[in-house]
Formats: sequence, structure tokens, C-alpha cells
Amino acid sequence: MNKRVALENVSKVYMNKQVLSNISLSIEENQIMAIRGENGTGKSTLLRIIAGIEQPSSGKVTYRNNNMKIGYVPERFPKQIRFTPSEYLHYIGKIGGISVKYLEDRIENLLHRFRLNNVKNQRIMELSKGNIQKVGIIQALIHNPNLLILDEPLSGLDSLAQEELVTIIGEMKQQGTTVLLTYHETNAFESIIERKLYIHNGNISETKVLDNQPVKLLIIKEIKESDVKLWDGVIQVEKKEDQLFLYVSSRDSDVILLRVLQLGGSIEAVSTVRGNYRRS
Amino acid sequence: MKTLINYTLYDFIRSHKYFPPISTFIILIVVYYSYTPNPIIDSYAVTALMIYFISAWLCISVMALDPPVQRQVMILHIGGRNLYYLSKLITVWLLSLILTAFAFIYPIVFGMFNEQVTFTIGFISWMNYILLSTLGIVVASIFSKVIMENVVNSYGGLALTITFSFTALGIYEILPVSIKNIVWIFPPVLVTQKTLINWNGENIFHIDVIPFIWILLYAALLLWVFLKLVKRKG
Repeated sequence: MNKRVALENVSKVYMNKQVLSNISLSIEENQIMAIRGENGTGKSTLLRIIAGIEQPSSGKVTYRNNNMKIGYVPERFPKQIRFTPSEYLHYIGKIGGISVKYLEDRIENLLHRFRLNNVKNQRIMELSKGNIQKVGIIQALIHNPNLLILDEPLSGLDSLAQEELVTIIGEMKQQGTTVLLTYHETNAFESIIERKLYIHNGNISETKVLDNQPVKLLIIKEIKESDVKLWDGVIQVEKKEDQLFLYVSSRDSDVILLRVLQLGGSIEAVSTVRGNYRRS
Repeated sequence: MKTLINYTLYDFIRSHKYFPPISTFIILIVVYYSYTPNPIIDSYAVTALMIYFISAWLCISVMALDPPVQRQVMILHIGGRNLYYLSKLITVWLLSLILTAFAFIYPIVFGMFNEQVTFTIGFISWMNYILLSTLGIVVASIFSKVIMENVVNSYGGLALTITFSFTALGIYEILPVSIKNIVWIFPPVLVTQKTLINWNGENIFHIDVIPFIWILLYAALLLWVFLKLVKRKG
């Protein structure tokens, strides 16, 4: 696969606090990737650096194409905008150099899909939190970006809008867009995420680190390793003959057990263990 | 850039933040010309100082329009930080151009001068207006919210700098000889005043252009500093 963006030893320091340290990462074309981690671990900072709106303190971000179109959905889209969604999106499109005819159709289509047609002539500052968030998402989609970056995009969205966003992201991937996102909600994106990265203490890895925390060990059968690998709450998977050893977070263990049974798997044993687990 | 200028203008109008500086400017001009007749060159020279002050006020208000996240989104869409900030400064410059037109035309239309405004005097006075408004804009950009997030530092710093620029000559007189030259770092607002007041207005080639060039160079240097600072901030 071709690299869309590459980060080399990227670090960020805010007020003498190391937020990101020496992150090296390649983001491939046509891939949907999630960055996960606890609050305050630097996920948003990393996204802003990848989007090019924030400079790293050291290190380098390289784009495959310098004219790459980037769409960015901020964590909290500002509510102090004095334009209507329609006016605002027209300005954004024109600023980005989109032709008027295409822009008209694109805005109409996206407003319709996110059910904003009935409020398109009200000022953004008068809209509800969820509708403001939808405008924030549409502005990032309007120019059909090659790289779409979404920072907690589901925050404040109703379930229909969440489903619509997941559908749109799937469609954009079909068109070759690379999608990078962070999220807290467990299920909405689970079906489309292809790669997950974890941030912990300013470092990024494809492994989730839980230092000496109690986790559940589930021994299961008749389920494929590839099926369970990306489930939320799964920390580590080990295959031993025909059994899968699943190390899962205690919080998610019930949901995972249920999913195993729904998929026709069988549960051999459940126990609680403690230690440093890494999910690869 | 044209669209972003348009966006900023409409946003500024809808915010109503234009009202305090523009109404203050109109009041200042009307009060200044309430006694007639007035000498042309001296009057234009004094009202140019008002333009400097009001342009700085306009600039600091326009630069505070976009919340930080909106600024980031705009920079991403327009494709460059410099393009975004330059378009904001051009918007303020266009607004101040309207103010210079008002300050220039008002006394002519209402017959506030003791004689006819010649092309030579009009041209030089308007150039002085434009230079001082440009200077006011770039000075304010350094103290704008994009560089100084703290409101006290932003407005306080600008107020202090404007005060220093107006009182530079007085400060120069009272300072000890060893540190007198420190006033050269203050914005050169008064350098054209003496030149204009000593000019008879008859021949454009009799005017000393060095003070005008000095303002232009100072403004260009500040603009460069501003763009460097926003890059570092980013």
C-alpha cells in the first residue's frame, strides 16, 4: 500500500509538558484508522499535527502529495459563527476553490443527508450542539478530501446522524479517502475500522498497554482470530491449537462473551489475571 | 483570498464590533472640524493620527473575530497560514481606506478649510493617511488575540504602544542622552508630522520623503515579525 502521510520522530511539548514523544507512523492510502487512548493523552494534538494546523516541536510530517486535500473535524466545532449553515458552507467551499455548480449540489446533498435542511437558514450560533457538530462534519467533507481527520466526531450526534456518518466514511473509503479518527463510543465505528493505534504517555503503538491492571482471560473456541482482534475491549489474543486466549478489559468482558456466543463460539473458561498486557 | 475578505467583512458587520471604532472616528472628525476655517495640511496631519489609532482598534477587533478552532479550519481550507492572516489584514486595510476617504472628503464637502485643496496637497495628505493606517494595522496585529491570548496583554500592550508612539518626541526630550535613541523602536507615527507642517504645499518635490519611507519600512518589518510569530504560535 502507498503511504498517504508519514510521521518521523514527531514530538510536541506544551508549557514544558511532553505531550507526544518521538512518534513515527505511516498512514496508508484508502485506510480507516482509529487512534485511541485516555483523555489528555495527546490524541487531538496528534490529529492537528497530521492535519498540518499545528507544528510539531520536533520531527517531521511528510505528505505523499503537497496539494493533498485534508478535511478536519475538530473535537468542538465553534458555536460563535454568525452565518447560517448554507452561507458558511458556501464560503468554506469557495475559499477551498470548489466550483460553484459542484458546491451547490454538494452542500444540498450533505445538508439533506445530515437532516439540516430545515435549519439551513438559521444562524449556526442559534443551532443545537448536535446540529453545530453536523455543520462541523460537513465542512470537512465538502471538498471530498483525500485525508479525512475526525476528532471525536460522534460527540453530540443523534443515532441517525451517527449511522449516516459511518455510511459516508465507508463511501469515502471506497473513493480512496484515508480516514483517521478518534472516538470514545464503542460500537458505531467498530464495523469499519481497519487499524487501531493506542496513545499511552505520549507514545503511540499498535498495542494497548494496561500496566498491572486486572483483566479477564477468556478461553474460547470456534471463533476466528481475525474476527475478535478488532473488538473493543480486546487487549491481547493468543492462539493455542484450536483455542483462542482472549485477554479483555473487565468492563467489556460481558459484551465480548455475548458476542462470542452470538457468533456460535463456545466458552471454555473465564478467569481474572493481572499483569502487563499488550495487544498486537 | 477574495472570498475570505468577503467572509471577514460580513462577519465583522454581523458582529457589530465595527460600531465602537467607527462611531468614535466619525465623532472625532466632526468635533475636530467644528471650528472653521482650518489650515489644510495641519488638519490632515492631525486627523492622520486619528486614522492610525482607529485602524489599530479595527485591526484588533477583526483579528479577534474567529475563535481559534475556526481559524484552524479556515487555514486548512485556504491552504496556508500566511494567506489567512494577510487576508484579515487586507480586510482591515480596506475598511480603513473607507475611513481615510471620509476624513479626506468631509472637510472639503462641508467647507471646513480656509482655502482650496490642491491636487499636490491632497495626494500627499492621502498618502500620509494610508501609511499611518497601514502602520496602525500592523502595530495592532502584533498585539492581536492570535499572538496574545490574554486580553489584558493584548489591549493593554496596544494602548501603551499607541501612547508611546504619540509621545515619542516628548519622551525623547526628557530621556538621558545615553538612552535617547530608544524612541526609535516606537512606531514612527510623528515623523511625517513635522515634514508636513513645514511644507508649503506648493511643490511635491520639496517634501522630504525619508519619513514616509521610514514608516513603510517599519510597517513591512512589523508585518514580517507578525507572520513569523503566527508561524511559531501554530
